[in-house]
Amino acid sequence: MQHSMQARKLLIAVFLLLYMAGTTAIAATISWQSLSPAQQEALAPLGQQWDTLPEVQQHRLLKTAKRYSHLTPEQKQRFRDRLTVWSKLTPEQRMAAREKYRAFNKVPAEKREQVKQMVKQDQANKAQQSVSGVPATPSTNSP
Amino acid sequence: MTDKLNPKRIAQLLTQSTRQLDSGTLSALSNARQKALQRQSVRVPVFTLATGRWAHLHLHLPFSAHQWLSAGLLAAMLIIGTSYWHHAQEQQIAELDVAILTDELPIEVFVD
Repeated sequence: MQHSMQARKLLIAVFLLLYMAGTTAIAATISWQSLSPAQQEALAPLGQQWDTLPEVQQHRLLKTAKRYSHLTPEQKQRFRDRLTVWSKLTPEQRMAAREKYRAFNKVPAEKREQVKQMVKQDQANKAQQSVSGVPATPSTNSP
Repeated sequence: MTDKLNPKRIAQLLTQSTRQLDSGTLSALSNARQKALQRQSVRVPVFTLATGRWAHLHLHLPFSAHQWLSAGLLAAMLIIGTSYWHHAQEQQIAELDVAILTDELPIEVFVD
């Protein structure tokens, strides 16, 4: 009985070691200099801090950079603009944002569009406010 | 000469020799045989992992080639399965990240 327990523990340990070997094999540090020009272009805003980023984050960012070439110019601009803010979030914040995004995409398209319009309106008001210095009157409150 | 020493011939020679043994020796041999058979019937294949300081560590592990093969296949399937699952998860996360970073809605909408 004791022997079979030892055997079971040994087999579990072997499986865990093999699994760890499999997962850590893809998680090795990558220096900024070793990135390809295409990767450096996609991740340019992170050039200064790249070498200090955790390995897991580096690998995830490289996976996102793979898709960069397929983006439209407008999407590329957004991608680069948001990358620094995104990289400064904690892993928990990023995970929460993914969950929120996933949940938002389950909302009916009509309602999603309404939210987008509201956000756009809000952004336009803030932009106007920053230029004129006078708070913009929301159109919905006008008689 | 060597042609005559086939297994059948050897068995015949041993049988003839046995008949020439005295009853005490025969009895001792018979007892030893019975004891050996009893021990064999309760013994479980034992796999020794180490020698020296760890020599006491005998583990009852699958012994036959079929059992080792099955265990190996199971381990390989588990490793491939978990690797595939891990890869799929990472791909999904990367897709979500790109979607968040390029969406019409600003990143602040999704970040607390």
